[in-house]
Amino acid sequence: MSSELTGSGHLVRLILRRDRVQLPLWIIGVGGMIAVSALAVPGVYNTPEKVAGYAATVGASPVSYLMSGRQAAIDTIGGITANEISQVAQLGVCLMVMFQVVRHTRTEEETGRAELLRSTVLARHAATLAGLGYAVLTTLLLGSLTTVTMLSAGLDASGSIIYGAGLTLLGVCYAAVTLVAAQLSTSARGALGIAGAAIALGYLVRGLGAMQDNALVWLSPFGWAQLMNAFGDERWWPAIPLVAATAGLLALAAYLNAHRDFGGGLVQPRRGDPRASRALSTSFGMALRLQRGTLIGWAVGLFLLALVYGAVIPTIPDLVKSNPDIGQYIGVSAGAEQALIDAFLRYILLFMAVVSTGFAVSSVLRLRSEEESGRAEAVLATGVSRTRWVTATVAVAGLGCLALMLLMGIGLAVGYGLGLGEWDQVAAQIAAQLAYLPAVLVVGGFAVAVAGLLPRYSMLAWVLVAAVVFQTMLGETLRLPDVVDAISPFWHLPGVPVEPFDPVPGVVELVLAASLVMLGLWGYRRRDMATS
Amino acid sequence: MTPAIQLSNLVKTFGPVRALDGLDLDVEVGEVHGFLGPNGAGKSTTMRVLLGLLRTDSGSAQMLGRDPWKDAADLHRQIAYVPGDVNLWPNLTGGEVIDLLGRMRGGLDEKKRADLLERFELDPSKKARTYSKGNRQKVAVVAAFASNAELYLLDEPTSGLDPLMEAEFQRCVHEVKTEGATILLSSHILAEAEALSDRISIIRNGAVVQSGTLSELRHLTRTTVIAETAAPANRIGDVPGVHEPQFVDGRVMFDVDSDHLDAAVSALVALGIRSLTSHPPTLEELFLRQYGEDVATVSNGGAG
Repeated sequence: MSSELTGSGHLVRLILRRDRVQLPLWIIGVGGMIAVSALAVPGVYNTPEKVAGYAATVGASPVSYLMSGRQAAIDTIGGITANEISQVAQLGVCLMVMFQVVRHTRTEEETGRAELLRSTVLARHAATLAGLGYAVLTTLLLGSLTTVTMLSAGLDASGSIIYGAGLTLLGVCYAAVTLVAAQLSTSARGALGIAGAAIALGYLVRGLGAMQDNALVWLSPFGWAQLMNAFGDERWWPAIPLVAATAGLLALAAYLNAHRDFGGGLVQPRRGDPRASRALSTSFGMALRLQRGTLIGWAVGLFLLALVYGAVIPTIPDLVKSNPDIGQYIGVSAGAEQALIDAFLRYILLFMAVVSTGFAVSSVLRLRSEEESGRAEAVLATGVSRTRWVTATVAVAGLGCLALMLLMGIGLAVGYGLGLGEWDQVAAQIAAQLAYLPAVLVVGGFAVAVAGLLPRYSMLAWVLVAAVVFQTMLGETLRLPDVVDAISPFWHLPGVPVEPFDPVPGVVELVLAASLVMLGLWGYRRRDMATS
Repeated sequence: MTPAIQLSNLVKTFGPVRALDGLDLDVEVGEVHGFLGPNGAGKSTTMRVLLGLLRTDSGSAQMLGRDPWKDAADLHRQIAYVPGDVNLWPNLTGGEVIDLLGRMRGGLDEKKRADLLERFELDPSKKARTYSKGNRQKVAVVAAFASNAELYLLDEPTSGLDPLMEAEFQRCVHEVKTEGATILLSSHILAEAEALSDRISIIRNGAVVQSGTLSELRHLTRTTVIAETAAPANRIGDVPGVHEPQFVDGRVMFDVDSDHLDAAVSALVALGIRSLTSHPPTLEELFLRQYGEDVATVSNGGAG
């Protein structure tokens, strides 16, 4: 091993020791979701008619193309399985490596812990290599688990292996993306933002390419992994661009790492204002300022996503004309364009609202990171009461969610309007997106409640997000019992615009969200603050 | 006059650990009260109780005549706090943090702010993420002393400051004391506490074991005497109150209880004094003696 990499082995062992709880949770969480769905598919599609029906309807629907791409051999049980697990498996593995790589590279550097390590016999690139090694290990674990699950579900051996390999290579590729992101930004949060945007971009590009059936799919790592055609006309060569991109990104990360200072990034920190503005001097102003960057990132990302989704809506009727079965599947004739568009809209609105629960929870849990870092102590030692301090952050989270929903609604309407040249639906689309807000707020309220009552277990809020994602993506496929579906607040809301709007569930959920916030506040008022 | 701080029989447990175990503390208005103890003795826990961040299990606490838990936010308008480990918002500048904390406390003294920034040589336009530990500490110190508070809670405030800044900090404490403020200064830098404090409390294992002015504390312990005498002072150990005489190069060195200093010196006079030095215990000796006895007890207990 060259001297530039000395010490990576020690680092990997340190990482494994630190993640001895977190890593199994990731593997069990993502792997479990994959396994549950993969094992359920053969039972659900147990006759040739059902398989054929799936291939003609679900598997060929625009939503499926956008979310899962064009899966090879969709008319076989292997193809159906791959299609059903693709969202959870592909996004799951990417998010897992993103969080892991940032946690063990930029976070370590930002907190200064890496400095202590770097003073030992540890070479410049050791941390990068250790991060990569760890990501390879975890994605390999998850990829193998997927293959083993598929094999035990009785699927074709070579297809299962190709699928698992594609998933692993996809994860490693995004680990390399994250390593580059960790060199660019001086903060862990910034690195997560860059890597997260890269994942969203790759996912969106593959989805659009699949929907339009064009070459865009060849521009995305998600596309390359899928184009290995597991269970269909299997081929290994699309792995070449995946591996080549990974190698190129790693070289870039190494170059950037060699050309920057320890703790530094590509962007030099600017000088700031020596005085605080009036707006910053209130609890709300301060909470807003602390979350400004995150909120802008989410707003831009989700707005663009909505814009793109809106823009593809006009192509749906054409897609259906070429495949009349979908119309039957949805229960409308190919001519009833609006019904088709509504079905698509319903899924997009729900999907985007579910994604924004990620913002709600991360925004609320700022309370925890402020508390654990001791920064909350500095604020609470002034004239700011706990109630005001919590309320300010919660207000930013709540208003942030509202702003995101509005922006997504506008984005969708604008994209749609541009595509069709019709602008009479704008208000309706924004209203439809807002109809999903109560469920987002319930998830955020739950985060406030756990942060106030069970501060050590605030991660439960993320467990709820995972449960909501799982229920939304796979609830119908898996025919989950109602009690399980009921965990997701989105399940209780009317699926506008397909189902008629009913204010009652939304109002009930708003009351529930408010109650959860009150509960959290009550917890905050009576408990000890964490001591750093 | 009601004391600025009055804690009696405070108990605070964290699971099985009794962080505060019947702590009593009185801080009079207008005094600088040194609060000394080794790491983990409960100094910061006491500070956090006073800030209303921790809820005590039993005992009573009063600060400026009010309940630090119930009236936390109102009380905080009258106090300033400097923690020993300052963590700042990485994307705010030092100047913004000073303004923010000052205004949230209910206002800050513009003249003092400008003056303190200059005295502590702090650049307020740099982002907090680029500050060193010492500079982060300065931000908290400037924010506190620019506030016109009645009571200053300083929890190891000078950790990370260089000696020049440390001296500047001591001047700040003197100034606010002159203005009539009360200061509770927790420290394990004994020279700092010795230089600043009117009264001192030593805390060990969550309870105050000694409290008083420095001279009172000294009186409770022994004076060190080093003497060279014409006749050998072999029998000095027989004088009541003399402890552990040691003989080095014809000189004798011993500790003597303050009440028996006169008798011990008389005994030396009888032997013919050629040189004599005597000094009261430094705070460091007081402290080490307090702590050393504990170590001795523990090791005896272990042997028995």
